[in-house]
Amino acid sequence: MDTTQLVCLSQELAAYQSMDAIANNLANVSTPGFKGETPKFQEYLDQEQPSEGQTGTQSVSFVQQTGMIRDMSEGHIDITNAPYDVAINGPGYFVVQTANGPRYTRDGHFSLDSQNRIVDEAGDPVQGSGGDITIQLTDGDIHIAADGTVSGVNGQIGQLNIVDFANDRALVKEGGNLYSTTQTANTAASATVQQGAIENSNIQPVVEISKMIEVMRSYQAVINLSTSQANSEQQTLDKLATVQS
Amino acid sequence: MRALSIAATGMAAQQTNVEVIANNLANMNTTGYKTQVAEFQDLLYQNVQQPGAQSSDSNTLLPSGIQLGSGVQTAAVARVMTQGALGQTSNPYDVAVQGEGYFRITLPDGTFAFTRAGNFALSPTGQIVTQQGYPVAPGITVPPTATSVQINAQGQVLATIPGQTAPQLQGQLELDRFPNEGGLSAQGGNLFIETASSGAPQAGVPGSTGYGTIQQGYLESSNVDPVSAITSLITAQRAYEMNSKVITAANDMLQETDNMGQG
Repeated sequence: MDTTQLVCLSQELAAYQSMDAIANNLANVSTPGFKGETPKFQEYLDQEQPSEGQTGTQSVSFVQQTGMIRDMSEGHIDITNAPYDVAINGPGYFVVQTANGPRYTRDGHFSLDSQNRIVDEAGDPVQGSGGDITIQLTDGDIHIAADGTVSGVNGQIGQLNIVDFANDRALVKEGGNLYSTTQTANTAASATVQQGAIENSNIQPVVEISKMIEVMRSYQAVINLSTSQANSEQQTLDKLATVQS
Repeated sequence: MRALSIAATGMAAQQTNVEVIANNLANMNTTGYKTQVAEFQDLLYQNVQQPGAQSSDSNTLLPSGIQLGSGVQTAAVARVMTQGALGQTSNPYDVAVQGEGYFRITLPDGTFAFTRAGNFALSPTGQIVTQQGYPVAPGITVPPTATSVQINAQGQVLATIPGQTAPQLQGQLELDRFPNEGGLSAQGGNLFIETASSGAPQAGVPGSTGYGTIQQGYLESSNVDPVSAITSLITAQRAYEMNSKVITAANDMLQETDNMGQG
């Protein structure tokens, strides 16, 4: 393949990666606490020696993916009135103790398990300042205060652990609405929690659909470029062949 | 091209969502029915470039890696356990639980089921039974001579019998609570059975700490809110459409690829 086709190919692959990211964002439009991601591309310069009739080094720019930028903005808060639905306002994560160690989440759809512990959807216990939080039947209606304090009719039961990280964009998505990291978890200073509410996905469908159309158009453009390049090569070969005969 | 399969998971999830909402709307007038909500979570990620990996020899770290998502899945269909409104019926064997707790029902095979639907009736032998004819535990029989029956807030069943001045105690309705009500398994017919995730039932007298009280002549309506059900339905439908748009777009891109070099 010649350089033009290779440059086109790099853009075609980039379009596929963008499309995959948009598909994942739109598939998770109803996933609580989901944070959208956009691929980031950068120019990759390739220096070539000048060919005949050219002076100076020729640079060819390819496109390559360098990372995924996570949109950390907050999703809108849905009121559910369920006692164990908790939303975080501000930067912060709940801590869940899984079999593979602590994991972090902003999906505050919790419930109780058969041992009366507050657990997430996978049944892993949500961590309070003193480990698992266990509710007794005699505690009556549960109130969760803005600072995460869980209390019942008999007084305070525990406090939800809300943590924050120096660089929360570097948290690794694990699936199941969970994140993992090797960073040190600090107590979140500015986060408050709201009982009876769930933070929804921060995907804005109109943005994703617009991006999708843009990706499609740029893909069509590069395919056209690639096709016309192939055509002109074909014509060149045809003409050369005619001269020789 | 993974966009196709990712969008397919999105469509499947929204379809589940619509089915759950349809079931809620269908049960809008079912006594003691609790609204269900489909909960979603993202699927596994493929790590192309680990966040925090080194990008040069001089210890510069990538601020964010490349993690490719693979879509969405239904994590749970949870029940919203809020109290439904109490509707008056004036039927003496209609009882509603105001607060926490389930009636215990003895099934024909001797095991127990639990229900919030207190639309009971009398069997030919005078026993208090459900609409299916299953006896309400612990088994209370009202004598045929009774002229009226009263069930008080503490669940005591009292019958007025001709010739007796004071109403006679016939039995005591009990309520059961579970550590995790959401873990109960719905059996249809407004009945639930205990599972490993619900925990064991803990019986108690209505009105004692943590247990609800009994209201005679009332039924607990479903807690389905039609307005929020319809708005969720619209959202689910739009989300379904958007995921199908992705499939169309991905298909168009693949078609362009297919047509490459045919100019």
